[in-house]
Amino acid sequence: MVAFLQMCNLPIRVECRANAEYMSPSGKVPFIHVGNQVVSELGPIVQFVKAKGHSLSDGLDEVQKAEMKAYMELVNNMLLTAELYLQWCDEATVGEITHARYGSPYPWPLNHILAYQKQWEVKRKMKAIGWGNKTLDQVLEDVDQCCQALSQRLGTQHYFFNKQPTELDALVFGHLYTILTTQLTSDELSEKVKNYSNLLAFCRRIEQCYFEDQCKGRLS
Amino acid sequence: MAAPLELSCWGGGWGLPSVHSESLVVMAYAKFSGAPLKVNVIDKTWRGSRGDVPILTTEDNIVSQPAKILNFLRKQKYNADCELSAKQGADTLAYIALLEEKLLPAVLHTFWVENDNYFTVTKPWFASRIPFPLSLILPGRMSRGALNRILLTRGEPPLYHVNEVEAKIYRDAKECLNLLSNRLGTSQFFFGDTPSTLDAYVFGFLAPLYKVHFPKVHLQEHLKQLSNLCRLCDDILNSYFRHGPVAFSSMNRNQ
Repeated sequence: MVAFLQMCNLPIRVECRANAEYMSPSGKVPFIHVGNQVVSELGPIVQFVKAKGHSLSDGLDEVQKAEMKAYMELVNNMLLTAELYLQWCDEATVGEITHARYGSPYPWPLNHILAYQKQWEVKRKMKAIGWGNKTLDQVLEDVDQCCQALSQRLGTQHYFFNKQPTELDALVFGHLYTILTTQLTSDELSEKVKNYSNLLAFCRRIEQCYFEDQCKGRLS
Repeated sequence: MAAPLELSCWGGGWGLPSVHSESLVVMAYAKFSGAPLKVNVIDKTWRGSRGDVPILTTEDNIVSQPAKILNFLRKQKYNADCELSAKQGADTLAYIALLEEKLLPAVLHTFWVENDNYFTVTKPWFASRIPFPLSLILPGRMSRGALNRILLTRGEPPLYHVNEVEAKIYRDAKECLNLLSNRLGTSQFFFGDTPSTLDAYVFGFLAPLYKVHFPKVHLQEHLKQLSNLCRLCDDILNSYFRHGPVAFSSMNRNQ
């Protein structure tokens, strides 16, 4: 999200709030607060930014836009769900990391209750989409497949479509960066991503360009 | 492979070999890749399970869920994607994800949640193929499963009621159909002249929507305006699922 807004050259301030999920109008993070408007989730935020005159995908034709939307769904479907699975359905991670982190802003016993409630919600969702019976290995395999598809699509290009970054680049960067930098009980997930060198290079490039203010001048 | 491959799935109607999307995906893929599949249609007897259909049974394996079944068939060398490039393979995965996220909720809603459709078409059809007393329970359970899936993946607090989500899922589905139509353009199939996994998935999801006669049909109307998608479904039906003993011959389009 931050990557997308920076790619659009919009000045932003990032705030981490404990009750972010409740502040959001749709219950989902991230969300942006502009003047007196609040917009949440990637799709609507992109639309909002577009309505204000900034868009990253204007240069794409219809077929490319279709492809971009399809790949964004793939990333949401596979990577996001896998991240959720690892955070909430893998007992080792849940016990050691997620519960503590999720409940940390709250006093006892609220921290336990909220963490369990979130876990129950996530497990329900997994079951509804058919991931309830997946083992960790199967989830990792799915992530691998997704990374392979992204890697093949990226090939040797700098960004997924032409020379300009689009919403897809921001989304992929966001997920891969999180996977690569978040501490989990095991490194298997980040190892899967590291297998694909062009994806690693892609992340590094975006990190350097947009988060270290080196290539800001390149954006038209 | 000498081992017989048996597929258990829901039966057909309205000109389709099956009215169940996932069963249709597997059947289409098998036709495209030349896998010799023996199709066991679920009927009123108590044989076989009906929970996770479609199910592929071989001598030593039982595989459920379309994605896993297709993987299994590919490992048995029945591959419909051998002519695709790596990028096209990646595109296939992406478009399938798009179908599952954007189109499936609306298809589920049209079949299982929309009251007019469910009570006049879907429930009687499925109930007639399930032995009593399961016929009283199973359709209801499938309907609740569909509703659950829609609400959990699309509903957001405080919009936990299906009415609010309806408009959104149909809008997404129409957009998805438009995107697919744009991508297909004027080609025969999504990747050239031979059908592949993506064609199987698109066919599986679209054909029931296209052919089954529902009282409430706005998504069907939208689909019928996208003539290239309808043409794709009709082509596949005519080439691969002609009634009677259909010997698999690639691209036999002479009628």
